[in-house]
Amino acid sequence: MIANILDGIVLGLQFGLLAVGLTLVYGLGGVLNLAHGQMAVAAAMVVALAQAAGLPIWLAAGLGLLAGGLMGLILDLTILRPVYRLRGEARVLLSLLLTLGVSFTVEGFLNWRYALGALSLRIGGGAVEILGVPMRRGSLAASAITLATFAALFLFFRYTSLGRAVRSVIEDQEGARLVGIYPHRMLRLILVLSGVLAALVAITRAMVTPIDVHSGLSITTFALIVTVVGGLGNVAGALLAGLILGIVNAVAADLIGTYISLIILLGAAALTILTRPAGLLGVRE
Amino acid sequence: MSDRPTHSAGAFSLGGVEAHASRSLPRLLLPIAAVGAGLALLPLWLGHSRVLMGVAVLGLAYVCYTIAFNVIFGSTGQLFLCVGALAGIGGYGGAILADSAGWPIAASILAATLAATLTGGLLSFVAVRRSLGVIFTGIITLIFSLSFDALVLGLGELTGGDTGRLITSGAGTLLRDKIPPYYLMLALALLFLLVHGLLRRSHVGWAFRALRDDEVAAELAGVDVARYRVYAALVGAAMLGLAGSTYAFTEGRISPTTFGFGEVDIVVLVMLGFGGIGALFGPIVGAVTFTIVDEILIDFGQLRHVAYGMLIILLFLRLPRGAIPTLAGLWQRRRRPKG
Repeated sequence: MIANILDGIVLGLQFGLLAVGLTLVYGLGGVLNLAHGQMAVAAAMVVALAQAAGLPIWLAAGLGLLAGGLMGLILDLTILRPVYRLRGEARVLLSLLLTLGVSFTVEGFLNWRYALGALSLRIGGGAVEILGVPMRRGSLAASAITLATFAALFLFFRYTSLGRAVRSVIEDQEGARLVGIYPHRMLRLILVLSGVLAALVAITRAMVTPIDVHSGLSITTFALIVTVVGGLGNVAGALLAGLILGIVNAVAADLIGTYISLIILLGAAALTILTRPAGLLGVRE
Repeated sequence: MSDRPTHSAGAFSLGGVEAHASRSLPRLLLPIAAVGAGLALLPLWLGHSRVLMGVAVLGLAYVCYTIAFNVIFGSTGQLFLCVGALAGIGGYGGAILADSAGWPIAASILAATLAATLTGGLLSFVAVRRSLGVIFTGIITLIFSLSFDALVLGLGELTGGDTGRLITSGAGTLLRDKIPPYYLMLALALLFLLVHGLLRRSHVGWAFRALRDDEVAAELAGVDVARYRVYAALVGAAMLGLAGSTYAFTEGRISPTTFGFGEVDIVVLVMLGFGGIGALFGPIVGAVTFTIVDEILIDFGQLRHVAYGMLIILLFLRLPRGAIPTLAGLWQRRRRPKG
């Protein structure tokens, strides 16, 4: 049981980080990026290719993060331009349809070009015992990186003026504009950040389990579920929801089976939408 | 970046081109009959090949799905991302009832259709009750799609899991012949078109248009928005269940990909985008064009998905009213300058 919970925490931290990018982009720009998972997979493939070309792992990982950020920037500069001209529901709807198209394009391309491609990062050394449970070093390293990233994000949003500017746009776009913050610039920054985070999740995930070219849809799905449960636009909610759902998933998968545990996760998301549309930590308007 | 005028703020509306439905019955029946007659001739040309007829039957199944999606999304703006799942309830439900429970085929199809109808109605009812809006409706129905998928994979003994299951009922009958399934699916497609056309002409259609154009105004004018949304979902889901179930029996084999999200929902979105969202004949135009293009691209394998993805982007970016209606509009404007 304790082993399941620890596994769940490892998974949950990554779920949470995956959802942060999605939730920030939505909260900031009203853009629902259904290509999030494919961005992560594409970044993972960049790392795998760089590794295959003989680059050291830190450089390959750096290139992967760069590729993730670049994809976010490209989204912002190209197909999201027309989306920005819309408001309200039409905006979210168009962004959803367009990024769905992007996800298909990216996934189709990766499937075609690198059908058997996969990223798997092995971290050597024996298992480390935690609470009497032997944990693999890969899982621990992945969790440490994820936690450090969360801490960095927290500090960024709390203490830097840039982070506070982003938060002010999420809270009140017009108000932010009035005090001289460009919402569009903040959105571009956050799209790049979400791409980097997606790449980071793909890399740390590969330390635990291989990421292949078909993982895109399931990554997007998990990110979406966690985002919904955590509340759209809520970073702390994403972390909490990721941890809860990660633990639920690991325990349920062990006790009942993988398919049913996925249905339980989906059910949790549906229930959240129906009972607390603003998410776990959300405030009802 | 904001130096461009914001004129396109309203360009991406869910509205179709046909602002006013024709009020006279012949004007509705004639085009449907013409479409039917045209498509009925197809076996004369392709009837020699079992493979091509199979493609044509699948194309008609997609016509049916797209009409159903048009009723739900095009008419009342409910983004149902569970087209494949609802059709799958029809397909898997019918197969399980007929093969495992020994029901007659017609009764199985009917029961499975009923199940799909109630599921669709329930989804819409919940969405309307909690006033979810387009996005959350999309997410909820997407969640339902994924759950259905997981359920199909998880209940391996009943559904055959990943490899799918064969349907033994109906084997050796007309249902598995070369030509009759085509006419069966064609009849369904024409029936669905007729139902949609009649709906548009009735007071239901006026309510649909009112609530799609301006929900608040419709509500204020006394249109029971919630009720008409659920109506549309019930009708559309019934179409999906019936078409999915019938198609399963003619095909004799179903698997998760028969009703998968990527295989059905995405394709239906492209087809409707191509034909024009909300336009009565949009599904026919879109599905026929798409089926032909897809058949041409079949040798490209995974690159087809790249093509679909780019088509979606292009369609919703440049031609939000649909490719065909936009071209038609250009043609009309050329004939009538100062239009």
